[in-house]
Amino acid sequence: MKLLDVEIEENVKIANDIFLLSFESEYLAENFKPGNFVNILIDKESIYPLLRRPFSISFVEGKRVYIGYKLVGKGTKLLSQKSKGEAIDILGPLGNSFLTDTFDGKVAVIGGGVGIFPLLGLCKELKNRGNKVDVFLGFRDLNSMFLVERFEDICDNTLIATDDGCRGYKGSVVELFKANVSKEEYKVVFCCGPKPMLKAIKNLNLPVKCYASLEEKMACGIGACLCCSIKGKDDKMYHACSDGPVFDIMEVEIE
Amino acid sequence: MNLEVEIAGIKLKNPVIAASGTFGFGREYSKLIDISEFGAICTKGITLKKRNGNPQPRLCEVYAGIINSVGLENPGVEAFINDELPFLKGFDTKIIANINGFTKEEFVELTRILTSLVDMIEVNLSCPNVKEGGMVFGKDPKKVYEITKSVKNVASCPIIVKLTPNVTDITQLAIAAEDAGADAISLINTVSAMAIDIETRKPLIKMVTGGLSGPAIKPIAVRMVYECFKKVRIPIIGMGGIMNYKDAIEFFIAGATAIQIGTVNFINPKAVCEIKEGIEAYLERKGFSSIKELVSSINI
Repeated sequence: MKLLDVEIEENVKIANDIFLLSFESEYLAENFKPGNFVNILIDKESIYPLLRRPFSISFVEGKRVYIGYKLVGKGTKLLSQKSKGEAIDILGPLGNSFLTDTFDGKVAVIGGGVGIFPLLGLCKELKNRGNKVDVFLGFRDLNSMFLVERFEDICDNTLIATDDGCRGYKGSVVELFKANVSKEEYKVVFCCGPKPMLKAIKNLNLPVKCYASLEEKMACGIGACLCCSIKGKDDKMYHACSDGPVFDIMEVEIE
Repeated sequence: MNLEVEIAGIKLKNPVIAASGTFGFGREYSKLIDISEFGAICTKGITLKKRNGNPQPRLCEVYAGIINSVGLENPGVEAFINDELPFLKGFDTKIIANINGFTKEEFVELTRILTSLVDMIEVNLSCPNVKEGGMVFGKDPKKVYEITKSVKNVASCPIIVKLTPNVTDITQLAIAAEDAGADAISLINTVSAMAIDIETRKPLIKMVTGGLSGPAIKPIAVRMVYECFKKVRIPIIGMGGIMNYKDAIEFFIAGATAIQIGTVNFINPKAVCEIKEGIEAYLERKGFSSIKELVSSINI
C-alpha cells in the first residue's frame, strides 16, 4: 500500500445516486487484487468530513482504476462534485482479496446494490483464470441498475433480480440464486452486498465455500484503530480492513 | 534546530508521540512511514488478559471529530511482550506502554511485568469505554492518588498518568497524580460524547456513548493543559485534536512539554513529519532556540 496523489479522469453518474470514478495509477493497477479497497481523503482541509472514506476498487483497465460509490452522506456528495483533473489523495490498495485459491469449474458471484462494484473486477479475474462464471445481480428498480452490460460481456450468465420486477426475476437476488443453485454445481460462491443479503446467503448453508466482502465503519483502513471489528468463530476477533474485507462467510458473525 | 525534549530523565529526540489507540503497536503504520520519526510511540492500551472490546458499531463521525467505543480490544500483556514489543524495539524511538486495569492490583501487576521492558508506562486512568476501571477510577482524585502510588511502588521506569477531561476540575486529578509520585501527566483522553441517528432514533454507537476525539476537542484540551500547568511541576504531555504544527504549538505555549497525535494519524499518516517540520520552522521564525523556551510562554 502507498499514499498516492492521483488526478480524476472521470467521475460520472451511472444510475440513481450511483457514480463511477476513474483515475490513472500504474502502482494501483499493478498491485490490485479483486476485493481490495482504497481510502480516499476527499478534502485535505475539511474537518467534516474528517476521516478518509473506504471504497472498493471495482475494476482495472490498463493503468486506469475504477471506483464506484453511492451518494450516502456529505463525503460522497463532495466526491461526486469533483471533476476531471482534480486531485485526490488515495491510500491503497488495502485489504485482502477474494481469490485465496484457484478454482477450476463453475463459480457463482452474487451482488446486491452498491456491493456489486467489487464483483466486476472479480468476474474478470475469474474468467481470466478459465472459470465459468454465473453472476447474480440484485437491484431495486430500473433507475438503480448499473454495470449490467459490462457483466454480460464478461460472464457466462448474468442473472438479474429487481425488487419491482422491472427486469429479470421479481424479488431478492438470494431467492434467484437459490432457484439456480439446485440446478448448478458451483465450486465456490462469492458475494458482496447489504448485511441482510449476506445473512440470507449464510443461512443457505451452502455445501461449498462461500466468501463474502463485509463492510464496517473504519477510521484508519490499515488495522490500527480497531474500529471495524468483526466477531469470528471461537472468540476470534477480525478487522474488516486488515483481515478482510473478504471472509469465509461461515467463519464470521453477520449481524 | 534541536527538537529534543526530556520527560522524567528520558530524552525524546523530538516532542511528537503517537497517541495510544491510534497507532496499534506500530506495525501497521511501519508499512507507510518510518515510525522512527516519532519521539516516542505510545502503544495501544494493554490489559492483563486479552480483550475483545465492545460490539459494533464502534465508530461514528461527527462535526470536527469522531466518537469511538473500541473498549480496549487488545491481545493481552503476554502477547504484547512476545509478539509486538520485539518489533517495536527495532526502531529508533522510545516505547511507552499504555496500561489499563480493572482493579488497582491489575495496574500494579501490569507495571511489575512491563517496567523493565519499556521506556515509560502510561497509566490509563481515563478510558471512557469500559464499565470498570478506566474513567471510573480516573474521575476520583483519591483513586488516582491510590493507584498512582501503588504503581510507583513497583515501577523502575517513569510513570505517566493519563487524565480524563470528563470532570469538573481536571487540576484536582493532576495534583493527585503528582502528589502520588507520578513522573508526568498526559491529557486529555477523549471527551464523553453521543450522537443519534434521527431517522431510526438509535444511538450511532452501540454502547450509546463513546469518546470524542479530533479538532472538536482541541480548545478544551489546550485549556486543561494551561490550567494543569499552573498547578503541577511535573511535565505535561498534551493531546486532543492536534491536526497540524499550529495546533501543536498551541499546546506548548499552554504548558505542554511534549504532545501526542492521535486522530490525525488515521487521516494523514505523514502528519508526524509535517508537524515536526512545522515546529522547527516556527521556532526558527520566532527566534526560539529550543522547545523548552516555548513551553508555557503564553502572553496574557
